Amino acid sequence: MANTVINEINNSVVPESKNGRRHIVIDPITRLEGHGKIDIILNQQGNVDRAFFQVPELRGFEKFAEGRRAEDMPQITSRICGVCPTAHHMCATKALDDLYKVDPPPAAKKIREMVYCAFFIEDHALHFYYLGGPDFVVGPTAPKSERNILGVLGKVGLDIGKEVIGLRKQIRDLIALAGGKVIHPVFGLPGGVSKPLTKEDQEQFIAGAKHAVEFGEFSLKIFNDVVLKNKEYLDWIVSDTYTHQTYYMGLVDSQNRVNFYDGMLRVVKPDGKEFVKFKVQDYAKHIGEHVEPWSYIKFCFLKDVGWDGFSEGVDSGIFSVAPLARLNAAEGMATPKAQKAYEEFYKTLDGRPVHHTLANHWARLIELLYAAERMLELANDPDIVSPDIRNIPKETPKQGFGVVEAPRGTLFHHYQTDEKGLISMANLIVATQNNAARIAMSVDKAARGVIKNGKIDDGILNMVEMAFRAYDPCHGCATHSLPGQMPLIVRVLSPHGGLMQEIRRD
Amino acid sequence: MKPLILGLGNDIISDDAIGLIVARILRDRLGDTVEVKESSESGFALLDVMTGYEKMLIIDSIRTCMHPPGAILDFSADDIGKVAAPSPHYAGLPELISLAKRLDLVFPTEIAILAMEVKDPFTVAEGLSTEVAGALERMVEIAHAKVTPWISG
Repeated sequence: MANTVINEINNSVVPESKNGRRHIVIDPITRLEGHGKIDIILNQQGNVDRAFFQVPELRGFEKFAEGRRAEDMPQITSRICGVCPTAHHMCATKALDDLYKVDPPPAAKKIREMVYCAFFIEDHALHFYYLGGPDFVVGPTAPKSERNILGVLGKVGLDIGKEVIGLRKQIRDLIALAGGKVIHPVFGLPGGVSKPLTKEDQEQFIAGAKHAVEFGEFSLKIFNDVVLKNKEYLDWIVSDTYTHQTYYMGLVDSQNRVNFYDGMLRVVKPDGKEFVKFKVQDYAKHIGEHVEPWSYIKFCFLKDVGWDGFSEGVDSGIFSVAPLARLNAAEGMATPKAQKAYEEFYKTLDGRPVHHTLANHWARLIELLYAAERMLELANDPDIVSPDIRNIPKETPKQGFGVVEAPRGTLFHHYQTDEKGLISMANLIVATQNNAARIAMSVDKAARGVIKNGKIDDGILNMVEMAFRAYDPCHGCATHSLPGQMPLIVRVLSPHGGLMQEIRRD
Repeated sequence: MKPLILGLGNDIISDDAIGLIVARILRDRLGDTVEVKESSESGFALLDVMTGYEKMLIIDSIRTCMHPPGAILDFSADDIGKVAAPSPHYAGLPELISLAKRLDLVFPTEIAILAMEVKDPFTVAEGLSTEVAGALERMVEIAHAKVTPWISG
């Protein structure tokens, strides 16, 4: 929600006379892409009783999808949200492949993955420099006026600012070249893509990918120089306040290496050992959704472990997705420079898995480098300019599943249709939903860790927000159930869950 | 240099589509005298969209709950930081302007913002509420009047 960029944090402190609790609301959350709210309930000593992260958001999508043509889903789902349209477009397109049981030709798969890598590059660059970076490059407790992109540029130099903007423009132009549009791409079709790449297009992709590889390398160097060499920042990264021992999930290729576009879902235990590996078609066997009275989001958990409340460890089914989880769930990266950075990451942070939430920022930059290297590999592949870009679907549709890794984590699409291909059921599990339980724990733990004896200032509140910002959550499409309204409600809850106060905006 | 008309919103989220609809109508009416863009992005992602123009009209929805649905609000860039409950779309403008200045980007120096108070920007659905649909033509006229001096000048 971008207005939060310009407004002061609305830090309203409401005294509760009956029991001496204070209820602090951080609303809206600064720099987060999408709406959100945190409620922090203090006890009489001024310490945290419980902190809640709430995501009141768009609803009614499944209802909207019913009766529509399945072929329209890549366009419709990519319009749900302005933040990750390419992820929805790609996931829906893959679900259509599965719905019509049609396997795209190699060139089509390669074009899709190459465009998808380009999307990762621009999205991860945006997050590191503009949204998450200010926390570390500028500093978690730096004055609020400096904790923004301008502060980042003050630290790393204006030329890098121009470089970030220049690279993002180049990459977005490439996505438009292949995808039709940057924001809502139109190139994915069941069984392939809508147009082949020309030799000239290929040259442009090669040039853009080479630029992105350099960009990825210097971004990691900045992280190394500014963050890792600062002992205070490193101490925060590894501190218990920002650490949870959970399961991790991500897509992997046949050699258990990170892949954003395709593969098997691999889940590792808190000790890093493989727990389960499954195909997207089996997602409902493995992933359950838990409902809490204080949140509209459904909290995903591993069914085989079970829901054990907001707790961590091997007996709690809570898992995490997104960059850190993807690295943890895999055994390496498929490109050489990213693999080297992956090894350095685990060497510095004492081995796999890494449980420190703030390490997501570092993992994100390793992924950016991987996306750039993978994009270059695909752009150089002679197959990429093949005119054979589509296999025509012939099967009668019934049910289709799609999965991709969105920049913010694993994204599932599941459709059922009638024999004419009209949607009778659409279920999406978005990245932030997969991550919701761990994010909720992270906000609660950070609040407990940094708020002591009633001392609350802007820097402390920012450190609470850092707990979720590391995940790069996006709530534009995180909740999507009936009745089709998106109310904004502030709730004050007692430790026993009783409603003490409610403010509605609907 | 042509002025930029930037429609913001999402056309499958009920009234949130108003900015896009007005922009499309203006595209038809004004032809190539203006550059018309549509976006559902927000915050820093809009920097790329806005860069390269000197004059810009932003058309968006807003929900202040202080005006009846269909009310048309007229802002300047200076107002944005002061708005109590701005739409998520155009917020961040002051930071975008500061960033563009710092980086010597060609960025609009004349910025006008029109926002319509909407009833329902929350439901995934196509179609405007009656109140917003009723104010559509008025919004188009006001937006047209805003950019006319830029075109002739």
